[in-house]
Amino acid sequence: MSESPAAELHQDEDHHHGLSHVAPIKVLVATGGSLLVLTLVTVLATKVDFGANINLAVAMAIAVFKATLVILFFMHLRYDRLFHSVVFVAAILAAALFIGFTLMDSNQYQQTNIWNPDSPPPAPIGPRPTSG
Amino acid sequence: MSEQLHEPHTGEPGHADDHGHGGEHGAHHGSPFIQHHYDDAQHQFDSGKLGIWLFLAQEVLFFSALFVAYTLYRHHHPEIYSYAHKYLDVKYGAINTAVLIFSSLTAAWAVRCAQLGQRRGLILCIVVTIACACTFLGIKYIEYSHKVHEHILFGRYFDPCVSSGGREMLNRNNNCPGTKSTVVWDSGAGTATAGCFNDLDQDPHTEGVQADCAVKEYGLTETPKRVTQPKVDPDGKPVVGADGKPVTEEVEKPEITEHFARDITEKCIEEPLPGEEAHEPARTSKFPCWRPAFQPAVCKKGVGILVEYGDTEEREHTRIKAECKPAPKPTDAGDLLADRGRPLQLGVAQIQPRHQLTVHEQHELEAAGPPPEHTSMFFTIYFAMTGLHGIHVLFGVGVFTWLLIRALKGQFTPDYFGPIDYAALYWHIVDLIWIFLFPLLYLIH
Repeated sequence: MSESPAAELHQDEDHHHGLSHVAPIKVLVATGGSLLVLTLVTVLATKVDFGANINLAVAMAIAVFKATLVILFFMHLRYDRLFHSVVFVAAILAAALFIGFTLMDSNQYQQTNIWNPDSPPPAPIGPRPTSG
Repeated sequence: MSEQLHEPHTGEPGHADDHGHGGEHGAHHGSPFIQHHYDDAQHQFDSGKLGIWLFLAQEVLFFSALFVAYTLYRHHHPEIYSYAHKYLDVKYGAINTAVLIFSSLTAAWAVRCAQLGQRRGLILCIVVTIACACTFLGIKYIEYSHKVHEHILFGRYFDPCVSSGGREMLNRNNNCPGTKSTVVWDSGAGTATAGCFNDLDQDPHTEGVQADCAVKEYGLTETPKRVTQPKVDPDGKPVVGADGKPVTEEVEKPEITEHFARDITEKCIEEPLPGEEAHEPARTSKFPCWRPAFQPAVCKKGVGILVEYGDTEEREHTRIKAECKPAPKPTDAGDLLADRGRPLQLGVAQIQPRHQLTVHEQHELEAAGPPPEHTSMFFTIYFAMTGLHGIHVLFGVGVFTWLLIRALKGQFTPDYFGPIDYAALYWHIVDLIWIFLFPLLYLIH
């Protein structure tokens, strides 16, 4: 019963109870309501032209905020063991690294060349590889 | 188990007794679902919870591969995304987002009910969660079936029958349902009777009338043949011979045989267009047809339906494959022969345009321009991401149904509600992924 130091032991309901934290109804409804409002906001934000990049940034910022609400309150991570947060945040960081590193050198590749006998691509510089 | 439900519990149910590993099952005061190899209910719950969090971490990484594909492709081809997202209906995406958020709320509430031993509340929350999941899948079905219907698909199957703005158009393979922007050309009269008609008095610009279009051509051959028939005199009376029997004679009479019957449109493609010398055989357009302009075909015989597609520089022509009902076959081949060079009867008044583009719509479509190259990649990514997510939702429905059965049996108690908590966590991650998918796919500016 000690996984959440912030939790207070209430005898009847809410807060800490039994095996883990019990989310108060108010918190659940407020989270759900905010998520719905934010969904509306993100739809409306698309209708305003801030420029493609800023529009994307706004949409992503709202999505990240919504995700944070879900994780903290619906998934109880705020009241849960720290280790669960470590596991989950590590996964998100790994995904961010995955995406970030792929983007980092994505401009370093050439376009795929489709062989055209009429205009063959220039010969590579350097000695021709010898067969065998 | 029943004590937990009906008696106000005191203290901490999981710690009700310290039975140890060797303890008998019956020694539990708590839930019978607490396994022997755990110290107590808390131990079992925490182990499961760690397991589900590790699974969720795996889910994040699992989906991240698709997000990488999305990000990389969007980075290189932003124009595809800003064009193709218009094929998606924000309305459906937003409703589905709201439905999933609401189901997340009820899933979280279900956990709370289970923790507090509120069995009826738990059952209600699970039922609502399942209902929301099914609603989500239903809306997804509407979206998917529309895309299948209009050929807005992945890879080489991307051959849309509608423009990104939702306007109807002809596609590369002319396999759109219904008939679109068709022109029936009367080569005999030299005029086009635009559109497919229910009957010729009907306004061709009537929108939304549904029907089939039937055009069929019969190839007829006249074979000279000598037949023996009763001889008649100029008055039409049979000539009777000296022996009292009718006299027969051999006359030359062509035999009309039908050597082929085919869709007239097959023929039209080989005929030159009005004002054109000749044209090459239809080629596959580089672009999915975006230009809705239609060009009537002139057929030497019968009725032609020809539709133009392709970009303005390289005009390409193809025939529309109308969903035709065969014209009623004339019983007398002679009538058919007499009809040569005139339009054949179109099947029994079954011709209706699905949608006749107005001039305004045509201009709108032309202004939008052709889809960028590789637009199909957007839908490859779209179907991969939403499809994988949809499978997760489907799996969630299964899990919650199983939980509902268990809840109805009263198997969840304040000291044993792990499965509810784990399933809810899984459900939240499904919601979480959709929270990102919605703006990334539907809300591209």
